[in-house]
Order: sequence, then C-alpha cells, then structure tokens
Amino acid sequence: MLNAIERTLEVALTGCRRIGQIAIRKLDIGGFALSHCDDEGCDDLKVFCSAPEDAIELSKFDDAGNYRPLKTAPNLRHDWRLELATLEELSCAIDHFYPGRLAVFVAWKTSQLRTTPLRETLDRQSGMYRVAAKISDEQIDNVVGNFCRSDGGCLRTILWKRNKRGTVASTKLPREKFDPLHDQTGHKERCIPLLCQEPCNLLVNECRRAVKGE
Amino acid sequence: MISKSNSALLIVGHGSTVNPDSSAPTLAHAAEIRRRKLFAEVGCAFWKEESSLRDAIFLFDPASIREVYVVPNFISEGYFAQTVIPRELELNGRLTKRSSGQIWKYCDPVGNHSLVTKLLLKRAEEVAQDADPAETSLLIVAHGTDLNENSAVAAKREADKIRSLGKYAAVLNAYMEESPLVSDWQKLTRTTNVVVVPFFISDGLHSYEDIPVLLGITKEGSTRLRSPERPTTRQAMTSRVARGEVFRRNPYKVDDRSLFYASSIGTDPGFADIIIEQAAKFDSESSLAG
Ligand code: SF4
Repeated sequence: MLNAIERTLEVALTGCRRIGQIAIRKLDIGGFALSHCDDEGCDDLKVFCSAPEDAIELSKFDDAGNYRPLKTAPNLRHDWRLELATLEELSCAIDHFYPGRLAVFVAWKTSQLRTTPLRETLDRQSGMYRVAAKISDEQIDNVVGNFCRSDGGCLRTILWKRNKRGTVASTKLPREKFDPLHDQTGHKERCIPLLCQEPCNLLVNECRRAVKGE
Repeated sequence: MISKSNSALLIVGHGSTVNPDSSAPTLAHAAEIRRRKLFAEVGCAFWKEESSLRDAIFLFDPASIREVYVVPNFISEGYFAQTVIPRELELNGRLTKRSSGQIWKYCDPVGNHSLVTKLLLKRAEEVAQDADPAETSLLIVAHGTDLNENSAVAAKREADKIRSLGKYAAVLNAYMEESPLVSDWQKLTRTTNVVVVPFFISDGLHSYEDIPVLLGITKEGSTRLRSPERPTTRQAMTSRVARGEVFRRNPYKVDDRSLFYASSIGTDPGFADIIIEQAAKFDSESSLAG
C-alpha cells in the first residue's frame, strides 16, 4: 500500500517530471530513471540502481568533489543515471537527494504546513547561535538575498516571512522566489517545488556571521 | 508495544556542514532498520543537515502514523538531547500529543544503552584479534571539555564497566583536551598492546586526524580536509581514502609497543539494534511506570 508521500508523488508525476535539478523519466519497461536535468538524453551516463545508498553518495559531492552541506543548492553533480524499479524506491531516492522536501510538499498540499518567520527562528536559538537574533533588517535583506538566491544559492521556494507582521523575507529577491509554481532552476519546466517553510540552520549561521562581522 | 502498521521511527543525528561522513552512520542505521520492516516508516533528521529537525515535524502523515518514536543518535545525554532536540521538535516531555492526535515518544539517546559496552568490547576484539586481552590496555577516547555533551562522563562510565569485567589488563578513559590526555598514552599504560577506541557517533576530523596525531601515529595535516578552502575532486577523493586508511594500518609499532586504532564506535552496525531497543524500552518503561 502506498503511503501519503508516494500517493502524492504518483499524482504529481502525471503532470510534471522534475524536482529541483532532477529529471524523472518513466521507463517503458516499468520503473523510473533519474538523472541531472542537464543530462537528459545523454546515453553514456554511469548507471546506478540502489536507493538509498546510491542516492546518498550521488548527492554528497558536487562536480568538483566538494561536500554539499545544502542538498537544495543548485550544484547537484552530473553524469549519472539512477534506475529504480518502484514508486517506493523513487520516493526513497528523492528523499535522499532532497531530504524532507516531499513530506513538506504533502503537508503543504493538504494545508497542514506551518511556516515560521525568520525572526521567530532566530529568537528561539540558544548557545552560539543566540547572537544571530541581533541582526538588523538591512542585514537580513542582504544575507537572505544573497544566501537564498536561486542562481548559486538555493533552489527552494521561500514560504516564510521575515517577521510575524508578514514582511517579505528579503527585498533583494525576485517575486518568483516565493512562487511554488515557478521553476527555480530557470528551465521554466513544471516541477515539484522544493518548499522552504522555515529558515534553515545554514541561514541562521549566516545571520550569526553577519552580526559578528565575519 | 511497537505497532508496525502505524508507528514511525525518527532517528536524530547531529550532522555537519563540513564533514561528509558525519551523517553516514545515522543514514546507514536507518536503512538497516527500514529493511527489517519494524516500523511503517523510518526517517532521519539532523541539527546541521537535511532533513532538519523542523522538517521532521512534517515527516509523518498523521492520518496513517499515530505514534512517532524519536531516538537521538547521540553518544551521551547533553545539550542536544536535553535542550535542542525537544525545542526544535516542539516536544514537551517524554510524551507529546500533537493537535492531530499523533503521539511523539522521546526516547533515551543511544549512548545511554547498556549494549554500548558490548559493542566497545566487540570493536576492541575485532581491531586487535591477535592481542591477548590480559596483556592489553584498552583506551576509550572522548573529546573532553565538551561540557555540553557530557561525553567525558559517558566514556568514564563505559571504562568503569569494562574494567569491572576483569578481561583487559587495564581499561582507561582518556580525552583529547583534558586529563587523562590521550597524548600521554605511553605514560598511562604499561602493557605491550594498547587498543584505542574513539567514543564518537561518527568518524570525522577527530577520529581521522586529531586523535592519531595525539597518539603520534600520523602527522598533522596528512588527512585533513581544510575548510573553508574547497578541495578539488582529486584531493577530496584522496583524502577520503586516506582518512579510512588510518584504521587499516594496525598495529602501529611505537617504541616497543603495539598500538591498535579503531574507528568511532558509533559506526558499528550494532547501533541499529540499540536504536530499536531504545524505542522498545520507552514502551516497557512506560508500562512499568503506568
Ligand atoms: S533558508 Fe531556505 S531558501 Fe534559504 S538557503 Fe536555507 S533552505 Fe534555502
């Protein structure tokens, strides 16, 4: 029996075949093939076939071999094709390329997703991150505008606000950054959005660095 | 009793923004437990990686998952287990009932379980198969000064337990940054054979480089991935091989001693059993209490 994520994925795949930088192809013989969207149509890709092990390794380093601390950064490595037999395996693989994103997508679809403003996230921090709450609005505009931008930063669609009053996360980001229907890779494809319901730990760290002048 | 059909397991790890191997044991234990089909769903969440602890709140569909067992994959009871995880997961005690009716059960961290002692013994035996324990000292090495994590206390507790078995000539806890210092191992031990097991949840700079340097078995900078400068593909690959290499050159001959160096205890596949045990223990303790 399919779980909620697999069911939602099945429905979503009738209308689109992209998530982040991954292209998903249904195979005539059954099953699915995933690849970097830039590599679609290439027939000399290295073939892998196990979820989650291969997905974990393929998502760990970029083309230059650097560790990828943010899986939704637009630096997924190229030259691979992951073949999976079932929807369950597909869901598992995607959950290792883009951890948690399918579950958050389901919660959003079913109106169960709560978003948390940046200021609330910062105010909650303790220990070395407590100081991050001192960030100014001007600094937020710059830090979020730079760190979360889709070209070179992160491919997620921002759903959170800056504060409880509903101020936009950053005035330096284009309106599409907040639109779940927009393809953040710039390819203008229909895709399953990578939703950001709350500022991530990496952004909290950037806020801390801005406050400390690092 | 864990009900397979409507229970989920959430394993919580620390993760890292610089160490590619930090989350590996947590992900591997999750994959193993998933294979055993003991829970309807098994998820992972990390403080420093994705899925985040905040994402984890949405990982399990309340319509099908009625109970979520949260097991911290941490070596000791400290700041993360006591403060960060409950806060980020919005837990208000050992048992939390969400507005959806979903119940979250906050279990003890893996490092607290008595099976850890057995795994330490197993790892010490595996790494020094030909060494007679009666002529061997066992060193359990934790960070020390990490007041947040109390790992020094946990390492001492494990050393005390293994010492009481009377199997090894000596069993000591040692630390990287406080005494007894691991760098003093030659003074701390008298036996020909010395086995060193890092008391960490995953391998990383401490086990790949810092402890080997303190032991005097590698030179500083031989394996470290320098951050924030990014390594090239070749450097990264070479480094990854080199980093595992330090565990494969046993025994190290230092003066007239033989030193056997193991990888971090948390990489043992047996931790998957401990995670399951911690979830089961939650229910057995609750039924005793109730
Ligand atoms: S806060 Fe969200 S959009 Fe910004 S970098 Fe983190 S995950 Fe990406």
